[in-house]
Amino acid sequence: MTETGSQFEEFFNDPRWAPAIIRATVLEAAHPQVGAALLDSSTFVTHPWRRLRNTVVSLQRMFGPDEEVRRREAARLNRLHARLKGTDAQHRPYDALDPAVRAWVVATLFESSVTMCRLSGQPLEQAVMERLYAEFRAYLAALDGDADQLPPTVHAFWPYYDRVVEEQLENTEAMRIILYRLFDHLPAPPLLHGLPTLWAAGRAVAGPLLGAITVASLPEPFRRRAGLPELPGTQTLMQGVYLGAGLARFLPEGWVRPEAVIDLLSLSPDSDDPRARTIGALRDRMKRAGALVRLLAPLPPEPDPGAAATVARRSAEEFFAQVLDQTGNGYLDWPDLAAMAREIAGRLDLDEPAETRLYDAFAAWWRELQAALDTDGDGRVSAAEYAAAVPSLAGPALIRVAEVLFDVTDANGDQRVDADEYRALFRTGFRRDVPGADGPYTRGAFVRDFLAFMSGRERSTPYDPLLAEA
Amino acid sequence: MTVGEAAGGAVGRVPRHVACVMDGNGRWAARRSLPRTSGHRAAETTVIDVIEAARTAGVEWLSLYAFSTENWRRPSTEVDFLMRLVRRVVRKHAPLLHARGIRCRFLGVADPRIPPALARDFTDLMTLTGENRGMTLTVAFDHGGRSDIVAAARSLIRSGVPADAVDERSFAAHLPFPDTPDVDLVIRTSGEQRISNFMLWQVAYAEWMFPPVLWPDFRAPHFLQCLHTYQQRDRRFGGVPTDANGERPA
Repeated sequence: MTETGSQFEEFFNDPRWAPAIIRATVLEAAHPQVGAALLDSSTFVTHPWRRLRNTVVSLQRMFGPDEEVRRREAARLNRLHARLKGTDAQHRPYDALDPAVRAWVVATLFESSVTMCRLSGQPLEQAVMERLYAEFRAYLAALDGDADQLPPTVHAFWPYYDRVVEEQLENTEAMRIILYRLFDHLPAPPLLHGLPTLWAAGRAVAGPLLGAITVASLPEPFRRRAGLPELPGTQTLMQGVYLGAGLARFLPEGWVRPEAVIDLLSLSPDSDDPRARTIGALRDRMKRAGALVRLLAPLPPEPDPGAAATVARRSAEEFFAQVLDQTGNGYLDWPDLAAMAREIAGRLDLDEPAETRLYDAFAAWWRELQAALDTDGDGRVSAAEYAAAVPSLAGPALIRVAEVLFDVTDANGDQRVDADEYRALFRTGFRRDVPGADGPYTRGAFVRDFLAFMSGRERSTPYDPLLAEA
Repeated sequence: MTVGEAAGGAVGRVPRHVACVMDGNGRWAARRSLPRTSGHRAAETTVIDVIEAARTAGVEWLSLYAFSTENWRRPSTEVDFLMRLVRRVVRKHAPLLHARGIRCRFLGVADPRIPPALARDFTDLMTLTGENRGMTLTVAFDHGGRSDIVAAARSLIRSGVPADAVDERSFAAHLPFPDTPDVDLVIRTSGEQRISNFMLWQVAYAEWMFPPVLWPDFRAPHFLQCLHTYQQRDRRFGGVPTDANGERPA
């Protein structure tokens, strides 16, 4: 598909990609089918950093030089998308494998790349644009087998794009969530978990700004039809951001490396990565600054005396929000558990049939949970239902999940999880002092720890970085 | 004479670790026909005065007994008042303590009845001052000496050390803040002469002083007087058999 140094890779290291990829995601989400799939299954609101990292890794694999890596990644994406189908709130079916839908996702990536150059005052030359388009068509072909859903030339692409924007895009719920909720509630990346105050302060300024910039960069016909606000000055602001980010191309080579930044952001501060120690020192200084800010902040009104009584209960609800409710819709249902399975399968780079075994185990656990906890019979488990019945969480199906997880983690099948296998599963949270990190981890200990995390709500286990942290 | 002169002497060293049991707030208030809470409020000035006096005199470790595990038995209004007062004091003096290079620690703080906001302020102050290399101020809050020893025993058993391998040094390593040295001097104000379950392990070889003054009236000169008396005693250390209280660890 691509020789080394493809047009895409050049873009990939371009800081303008950050606003462009947000824009592409909004345009994706405005497609009714994609929007419905995102709304039902995606974890991007609750775990945006994890999702960002997974997306970047996937794109790198798909546009990388290695044919075999590309083939496996395409197969993995196809399996992942095959699990995303259902009906939206208006009972319209959606299917992530629908070729027209996938073509649209690729189209938004291509169009946003072209637009980011245009908006920053450096429009692409026709030849470069054609080469980039060919690369994106090849990306679609690697997924679907052919790229027939995308017009064959750039010339034919624009009418197709304009038609979809004008006729198919809607003001979907998923798009509104990205524009208005995600930026306002963006959780701190794992690296900055110790600094909630500073993070919230920065986010209060940057969040609405990001939303306004993204809205201003959307195609005019769509903005009009979706009834998105026109804020005075945002056009200029948006172009200024693109222009400013575009100037970074004058920086010496190697200064701008998005993977490095994303890797760093997802780095768990406790891991024994050498960079984590450097960051740890910096983080300690920032932590002290955060502590000082909190101590200097004026005292809030006296808390009511009844608050202390609800502490024990809150921790069950905390666990529900941080670990179980992966999609962040306030309920525990199948997409939440599917998201856990997806994250684990991605980490371990599972192939068939191991991936299906893992999903099946999670599906069985979901049936068990539903039977035990869904007391009002609405098909999903609310935080209150969960808090009322926590002890029954460790049923046989959960034990089965732990066992399957052990089997798939134990890549060489020697009935123990050695250091490398352990690292594959918990890599950002890998610490030496965790039992099993030094010596091999036996099946019994592995299952016990997993159950302790899932039912005992034990904190600061390696599972926290895997399933709870952004 | 000044403490500085005494500290310069070869024998009369400034105690490395001084601990204060802050007693007499209630009686101070009662003598003035004020509510007990005003005694606690008056104690704030003394605390800051003593911290400053200890730092200037060259004391490296200062421990204050603020609230014992037994103090929870006091009337709930008084406990609530104390919690709010401590929070206000901590927040008010945090920047000053940090600027003076004092490392603050809170010993105890395990009871769920401690308001979460107060516990977070304690954590914040410990984080803020954790790297300071001046005097270490340990505030014993919700502290019990016996429960610390029990916790150390638990931790020791959990670590799976064989019984024969346990000695005083390895046991002490399991106590909270194991880098804390033994207490050299305990000052209990208001004339009461009790240990009250305070840092039981660390006071094993301590000298004790019981100035009759109540804690809200206790000031830097009283503190320096105690240091001076300690140095006098130390000067006779080993010379008078009745005063020998065992060999002091290095």
